[in-house]
Amino acid sequence: MLNEPALKGLIEESQDLHSDAMREVKPALAGLTELRHDAPTEPLDTATIARINDERRSSSHRTGAALAGAGLLSTGIGAALVGLLASPASADEAMDIQILQTATSLELLAVATYAAALELPFIATGNAVVKAFAETTMAQHKEHGEAFAASGKALGGKEQTEPNAKYLAVVEETKPKLVGPADVVTLAATLEEVATDTYLANLSLLTDTDAKALFASVMGVECQHLAVLRAVGALIAGGDAGIALIAIPTDVAALPAAAGSVAFPKPFEEPDLASPPAEGAVK
Amino acid sequence: MSKKNQNIDLEALEAGIAKPNRRGFLALVGVGAAGVALAACSSDNATSTTDTTAAAGGAGSSTTTAPKSTGSTAPAGGGGDLEVAALAAGLEVLAVNTYGAALAAATAGSLGAVPPAVAEYVTTAQAHHQAALDAWNGVLTGAGEPAVTKPPADLEATVNAEFAKVTDVGGAAALALMLEEIAAATYQKAIPTLESKAAIELAGSIQVVDAQHVAILLFVSGQYPVPDVFASTEKAAA
Repeated sequence: MLNEPALKGLIEESQDLHSDAMREVKPALAGLTELRHDAPTEPLDTATIARINDERRSSSHRTGAALAGAGLLSTGIGAALVGLLASPASADEAMDIQILQTATSLELLAVATYAAALELPFIATGNAVVKAFAETTMAQHKEHGEAFAASGKALGGKEQTEPNAKYLAVVEETKPKLVGPADVVTLAATLEEVATDTYLANLSLLTDTDAKALFASVMGVECQHLAVLRAVGALIAGGDAGIALIAIPTDVAALPAAAGSVAFPKPFEEPDLASPPAEGAVK
Repeated sequence: MSKKNQNIDLEALEAGIAKPNRRGFLALVGVGAAGVALAACSSDNATSTTDTTAAAGGAGSSTTTAPKSTGSTAPAGGGGDLEVAALAAGLEVLAVNTYGAALAAATAGSLGAVPPAVAEYVTTAQAHHQAALDAWNGVLTGAGEPAVTKPPADLEATVNAEFAKVTDVGGAAALALMLEEIAAATYQKAIPTLESKAAIELAGSIQVVDAQHVAILLFVSGQYPVPDVFASTEKAAA
């Protein structure tokens, strides 16, 4: 059965474990706020590239000083962001910017969707693990969106502030049909699979190494969201007995055999739900 | 979070796995053929000549194939990508063998009562790693390199030593969790270094599944299944 204090402790422990990473990311994000350019929809021209490079060098110095002052310049993410700013822009970065804006749009949509789900009575007052998962996952997506936005701006792109229009329409159409936890889990799983597949497809499209590392990192979390949602969905489908097993710790001996495989139906993830690079680009 | 579980010293295991540097690890996986940049590093460590605790599984061959672009064609990235392919294949051999050992132990009754979900997980995960091994070996042999059939000797010895201490399902799950975390982190770390589209796609597609294994193992171990805001490469093998 559910051990709520233990669950809360586990979540707090997990937040502690990642405080170092957050300490690296947040000051760097603050140092990138002055970079604003329109997202190119075609290869950048020479004058635009030169302007971006001038501003990038200036921002690199400011960000480097800020990170050094905070003792973060030698850390992985801090150094990567300064390196990103210091490196010259190229026409190849046009697609990288679009990819990062599209990723940001997907993260914004995920945050909005989980927030809406948490307002539904059967989530807000339902299974505590499901509610805690929605809250934690929403916070993680917020962090992902901020990281993608910062990287996009560092490459000279304008920040995407709107949720992905294509899937926003899907979410809005689905909202009235969300009458139980299973419906929410199905919707969330779809969004997580779109994000996972999009980031997987992006890995071989991106030209910027730091951006690739960021996508690989975030992909590694979104796919876990997806795995959990698949497992939770299967347990919900099992009725009251299954729902009772959505607990931390769970009764492992009582889990159905399918719980050991339903979360990962294939040995290789196939990016068949990937959004194209420009789908969420700033117009 | 405590890294002590059952009779397994996970801290020691993690240290033993994480410490080998790239040079040493790549040599250990036994891809030292002429013409590959790795050759220069291959003389200072021996390839494993011992068998893992249980025979490599080969159980549950996959019905889903690797990304089609991988096929038998060598990654265009050449030596660097092939080094990663060999590293990955060595880790996959270790995973297949370890899950095989777990299945053998469960069948022999050495782990006590095995819940159906755990048995299903072990069979499924072993099949996934076998499919990944086959994919990487396809890349290697397509490039004229030998297939990797043995795990890194030092890691194999460490895992075997730890596995010998496992007396129940919880201990086996803890060992599996460690291996899956290492595998996922290794792929994540390798991706930005890969040059060919095919190698990136294959590594990414496997990283996803290994990370999902991690999530479910955390859940059945009584831990929060998605503890990381950003997935880390800290536990990468090289």
